Amino acid sequence: MAGPKATAPVKGTSSSTSSSSSPSAVQTLWKAYLDHTAPRLKFIDSFLTFLVLSGVLQFVYCVLVTSFPFNAFLSGFASTVGQFVLTASLRSQVNSENRTLFKDVSPERAFADFVIGSVVLHFFVFNFLG
Amino acid sequence: MGPLSLLLLPLAAALAVNAGQLSIQSPRFTVLSSDGNQLRTEQISLSKKAKEPVTLGPTDSLKLTFQVKEEGGEGVQPHQTFLRFYDETTGEEGIQPVKVTASGKAKFDFNMARPPASLPPSGAAPLKVSLILGSFVHTPATVELFDLVVPPSLSAVHPDEQTFHPLPEIQHTFRPEQKVPPKAVSAVFTGIVLSPWLVLIGLWGYLQPRVPHLFSLSILPFTVSLGALEALLLWYWVELRLGQILLYGAGAAFVAAVTGKQALVSIGEHRTGRK
Repeated sequence: MAGPKATAPVKGTSSSTSSSSSPSAVQTLWKAYLDHTAPRLKFIDSFLTFLVLSGVLQFVYCVLVTSFPFNAFLSGFASTVGQFVLTASLRSQVNSENRTLFKDVSPERAFADFVIGSVVLHFFVFNFLG
Repeated sequence: MGPLSLLLLPLAAALAVNAGQLSIQSPRFTVLSSDGNQLRTEQISLSKKAKEPVTLGPTDSLKLTFQVKEEGGEGVQPHQTFLRFYDETTGEEGIQPVKVTASGKAKFDFNMARPPASLPPSGAAPLKVSLILGSFVHTPATVELFDLVVPPSLSAVHPDEQTFHPLPEIQHTFRPEQKVPPKAVSAVFTGIVLSPWLVLIGLWGYLQPRVPHLFSLSILPFTVSLGALEALLLWYWVELRLGQILLYGAGAAFVAAVTGKQALVSIGEHRTGRK
């Protein structure tokens, strides 16, 4: 549920987009995502991609070079992970295909939760940064 | 004590006049090995000292016999009889009482395996062994017997002796200072770690999200107050203290909550109105 980037738009649509030339499943998935995902979800997805790349690169730096200011690494890495979790939950609540799951949660409410969670996360991250 | 001894002096002098001299008859020592063999047995010459000191091994025992006689010839029992072991170099001495029978005969032995506690710790020089006789009715006598060489003491130092020295200075060891990677490596990885921003900007530029109401009066205060909160956190990282950030942050969070409520309500109205 948290962060299924491409599952929601693919539902029931892959048959219509797959052509007779039998493209690979990944290509089909990608095309379906591009065609059937709301722009604002793509907007969130690009932010999620940014977070994943950022976290992975920080981790690679920690493994390859040094973890020397260890609290700085931890807070940087934890900020990307925490932000990813918050953003992913925002995405799943905002997604119109999940409307039935989150009847009581309006998109505005979800965004308010996201903002509060982010501010608290950033406070802890800056507190830990040293 | 002084006056008393002064009073006693004439008495002692009177006694000394009448008293005969005490003498030692047939003093003899025997050195026995641990299995009972006689290693050395000799008459002790009181007039001239033996050239060779008596040597005891770690498990040997020494047997000393003599008889105390009055000048006349009768054997007597002195009131006090002691053997004195004296180390001239260290000044240590040990006094060991000796039992004398009524007829004046005495036998003294000790085993080096279990030496008496009074034996002084052995130094470099041999111990001088002398016999001290004390009596009310006779002139006291001190007789040099022989020199005694005992094996070196095992515990010349006190068992707790080493705890009475200053301890070696404590050398603290610290973890070595962690190395900062070379500037070039740091710079390259800073670039690499920041590169997702390019991806983010590129993707958002491609998607061109529409923000039609960003600058409307109902929403702008909210985004501004959120930006202020984040700037406050950055300021906290640079120089603020925890108490200050909590104070300022509470104010900013209150503003953000009020403006956020207004902004999200207006967005909700837009959304429901559009639907």
